[in-house]
Order: sequence, then structure tokens, then C-alpha cells
Amino acid sequence: MPKVLLIEPDVVLAKTYKAALEHAGHDVVAARSAQGAVHACDDAAPDVVVLELQLVRHNGIEFLHEFRSYPEWQNIPIVLHTMTPPSSLHLSTDMTEQLGVADYLYKPSTSLQKLIRRINGVVTPA
Amino acid sequence: MTATNAVSQERLLRALAEQLKLPLLHIARQAELAAMTGSTSVPNTTITQTASMALQLIDGYLLSTDLHAQQSLHLEPVSISSVLHDTAQRLQFLARQYNCEVEIHLAGKYEPVMGHRESLETAFTMLGYSFIESITEGKDRRLVLAAHRSGKGLVAGVFGNHPGLTADMYRRARALYGNSRQALPTVSPASGAGVFIADSLLAPSGSPLRVARHQKLNGLAATLFPSQQMQLV
Repeated sequence: MPKVLLIEPDVVLAKTYKAALEHAGHDVVAARSAQGAVHACDDAAPDVVVLELQLVRHNGIEFLHEFRSYPEWQNIPIVLHTMTPPSSLHLSTDMTEQLGVADYLYKPSTSLQKLIRRINGVVTPA
Repeated sequence: MTATNAVSQERLLRALAEQLKLPLLHIARQAELAAMTGSTSVPNTTITQTASMALQLIDGYLLSTDLHAQQSLHLEPVSISSVLHDTAQRLQFLARQYNCEVEIHLAGKYEPVMGHRESLETAFTMLGYSFIESITEGKDRRLVLAAHRSGKGLVAGVFGNHPGLTADMYRRARALYGNSRQALPTVSPASGAGVFIADSLLAPSGSPLRVARHQKLNGLAATLFPSQQMQLV
């Protein structure tokens, strides 16, 4: 059962996404902050990280860099699932490869089904 | 409305539009989850409360535009204790969802202050919503509605565990709101429209929000002035 670390600051959305992913067969740990996410990874490394860039007190891109600085977490794929629209997100190809961003999803236009499909595509590549 | 006010109201409207994505997303995804899981028990209370908060946000914005359009604002004696108690009632549902305790700290009785009751209550409610939603993991999960006397008047506001909320941060946020997706990152993962609407509601009565501290908690508060009429009685 693939383990998903969901980093989502909004408590209602966190519960909703967690329930949907668990319904789809994933084991989900939810964290609402960068600090909480690091603690969760310390307990058990996930197979994929789903990250909202607009966190409270932390910039999501800064968290990405910090996350990748830990050698044991360098190969864990990251799916950006964020309120930041594509027009505002200046992720260069280099950054994407360097930071291991496997996919980008704009939350308002991403249904639960689409989220599940895209996460499945990352944890079980063809 | 002056040109400056018009620009501010436009920025506030953009911040509001950005903020409203969140409750709409709550409703859409919860409805989808219910359909996906075949659940017959859609969390109606959560959806209802989410919709209610979004409507209050819109009403708060509309009230602020009305206040700014008025030539002069009619102020009346208002009991701050009553305002804070009513605000605490409104915040209870959201506080429970976030495992947060709402406390009221009032040191004794206060004379009425000159204010606009509706904007005071709406402003403190907006602040409360924003502060509660920003509570993440941590031991201190309190939201405190407090008032205390100062040399200038009665300072009343909303306080929580926000160590990053400083006067500089708030000043930068006031310059950025409407043009930044996350103008107040230490308080809100979204645009923080509730905070700026609250500020907009209080400014016309001469009591804009400022960063303040209460028992080691940071928050936003307004300085209110006693009712001269009541003092003469």
C-alpha cells in the first residue's frame, strides 16, 4: 500500500483529501506545516509527497529545498498540489529535475479523481 | 470615495476573490468525496458552516465599502465586552473543527466605547476566522479575544500563537494585499482577506488594526475610545 505524505495547511481540505486517497487504497499521513512534515518523514519515509506550496509560516519552495537536503529523502517524488496557479509558478525545468517535482496540479481545477490518478501515476510508473 | 479609497477597495476585492476559492473548494471536494465513497451522510454542517463563513466574508467586504462611501460615520456607545462575547459565540464551530479553544480575557468592567457595533463584531469575527484557520500543529491552540486599558483608550483585539506576526510584517502585508496571493504568510495560507477586511472595517471610525501583544500572544487590535456621554452620567 503506497504511503502518501500529504502536506496541506487547510484542515478541511486535509481531511477531504486524506479520506479520498485512503478510499483509493493509499496509506496517508497528513501534516499541516513544514515542521510537521519533517517529523512525519522522520517516523516513516513516504513513497510520495503531495505538497501545497502556500503554507503558513513557510514558503513551499524553501521547504522543497530543505526536504531535498536530507540524503535519505532525495529520491522521494513530489507532487505539487497547490493554490498557486501555473502563471505564478516559475519552476524551471532544471528546478523541477533538481527538486524532484514529478507533477504539478492546480487545486481549483483538480478533482479528487484526477488527484488520485496522478498520484497513482507517480508511485506506479509504467 | 477618494481615488486612494477606490484603489484600496479594488485590492480588497482581489484579496476577497482569492480567499473565496477556499470555501468553494471545500464544498466542491466534499460533495465529490461523498459521491465517490457512496456516503449517504454528506457532512452538511461543515458545508453549511463553510458557506456561512464565505457569505460573512462577502458581507464584511460590502459593509466596508458602505462605510468608506459615507461622508461621516455614526458612532454610538458600544459594550466591548458584549461584542467580544458575541464574536466568541460565532467562532465556536470553526474553533472546534481546528481543536482550538476560544477564550475571552477581560480584566474587570469597561465603560462603553464609541464605535460602530456591526463593524466591530464583523471585524473581530473575520480576524478570528483567519487566526483559527492558521493554527497548525503546536501546543498553544488558543484564540484569545481580549481587551485591556492603555494610556490612549481601550485596546481590544484577537490574539493567538503567531510569533511571526510583527509590526513590520503587518506593514508589508498591508502594502501587498490584493497583489500577492499570500500577503500575510505567518497568519494565512491564502490571501488573508479576512484580516484586511477587518482593517478596512475599523479604519473609518479612527481605529485601524495594529499588531499588539497579550500575555505572550501576538495579535491584531484596535484602540477604542470611551463614550464621553456615558462618562458624564
